Amino acid sequence: MNASKSKPISIRGIAKTYQTQSGESVEALKPTALEIGAGEFVVIVGPSGCGKSTLLNMLAGFGEPSAGEARVSDVRVTGPDIDRGMVFQSYALFPWRDVIGNVEFGLEQKGIPKCERREIALKYLHMVGLQDFANKEVDELSGGMKQRVAIARAFATEPSIIFMDEPFGALDALTRRFLQRELLHIWQQHRKTIVFVTHSVPEAIYLGDRIVVLTARPGQIKTIINVDLPHPRDATSDTFRDIERAIYAQLDAELVKSFALEGRETAVAAAD
Amino acid sequence: MWAAVAILIAWQLVITLFRPHVSLLPPPQLAAREFWTLFASGELFVHAGTSLARVLSAWCITGAVAIPLGLAMGWSRRFEKIVDPFVELFRPISPLAWIPLAILWFGIGEAGKVFVVCVATLFPTLLSTIAGVKRIDPVLIHAGQVLGCTDRGSLFLKVIFPAALPSIVVGLRISFGTGWAAIIAAELVAARSGLGYLIANGMEILRADKVLVGMAMIGVLGVCFDAFFRYLSRRFAWGTT
Repeated sequence: MNASKSKPISIRGIAKTYQTQSGESVEALKPTALEIGAGEFVVIVGPSGCGKSTLLNMLAGFGEPSAGEARVSDVRVTGPDIDRGMVFQSYALFPWRDVIGNVEFGLEQKGIPKCERREIALKYLHMVGLQDFANKEVDELSGGMKQRVAIARAFATEPSIIFMDEPFGALDALTRRFLQRELLHIWQQHRKTIVFVTHSVPEAIYLGDRIVVLTARPGQIKTIINVDLPHPRDATSDTFRDIERAIYAQLDAELVKSFALEGRETAVAAAD
Repeated sequence: MWAAVAILIAWQLVITLFRPHVSLLPPPQLAAREFWTLFASGELFVHAGTSLARVLSAWCITGAVAIPLGLAMGWSRRFEKIVDPFVELFRPISPLAWIPLAILWFGIGEAGKVFVVCVATLFPTLLSTIAGVKRIDPVLIHAGQVLGCTDRGSLFLKVIFPAALPSIVVGLRISFGTGWAAIIAAELVAARSGLGYLIANGMEILRADKVLVGMAMIGVLGVCFDAFFRYLSRRFAWGTT
């Protein structure tokens, strides 16, 4: 497989504040700065509602940041682009297309001629082990297979960066483990820049070069942990366990804050 | 099938028990003979064909208008806010209430009847299309965008339209039904052909057998088309399971 281009991401003071319908402004993400190298696998973890999906969406070009900017190879991100792929938790396959039709979607948009398209799509279906399911309907697949199609679809257009928003969050533990290994394998071959959001600490350590831990809402970077272990990583090794303990310690402190925040909101709501 | 047999038995029962005058309710065999007469002379097909042609042309016109309009209304909140008051104002007016105006404006030619059916088919198609667009999972839109549909045109063509299509087909099916009902009513009032005319004429010349043949034809064709659209909506049923 060709080791194609990948690009660095420069996050410069990016922040997001939402306006609720009652006119209140809610700070989802405090100004955040981070440099992600080309071909790096960065995992973002944090308590739910900490703004990690908000951050990922802004990097992908969905929703303007309230402040700051994200730059990809020094070009400002202003909207979604075929050069930045995305894999979603809910798979987001197009049900009116069969499996290979889904993988071909982005290739059509790139204007690649039909027979070549088919060939490329088959190559990427092969990469995720689904070449025999090319003509199946999406509804006939299991969740794990759907996500493999979505991964093939994201890689097929050969983007420089792939964003993954809790891609394995809806899958059972065994399928999840299998897909983590498969994704790692694909990443090692293609060396795309990957920004991966998850709730799962072991998943983060298993996959990431660097793990960015976010604080409870409003989110900001609490700490960044480098994982220097060679792949494939053994989740039972002492170093793995040490990193896991360190991250949980950081997260537990945030969860306490997060629950306290929710408690206060409930109290305020009750007082109203 | 069973329903047809039950109706025939009940019909014959009414005939033998109450002996109604033949101009009010003829026995089944007389109606069958009239059916055969109209069938063999081809008159039945002329009437049915005329009615169908009117419904089909109006249905195509409203489809061409209501689907793009519905896609736009479903997509843009701002556009919907502008158009929706008009829709809400006109929607409760029965299409049949437009028949007098249609006669005043277009006389009793084809245009008037097509107009009435247009009114009858517009709203079901429009509302289903709007609902279809609004129900699209936003994540599908995002998926389309990161896969290269970054301009509105390609996003509509390749994501929004196919994602809304199951709902649009349902709307087209419902509107064909309302159109089919409306054309008969319009032809009852002002027409020289069509199944509605056949019925109205039968009444005027006191021929209940002609009326019954016309009604049967309306029913049978209605069922056939509905079955066809049901088949279509099953083919386009993605994302609904």
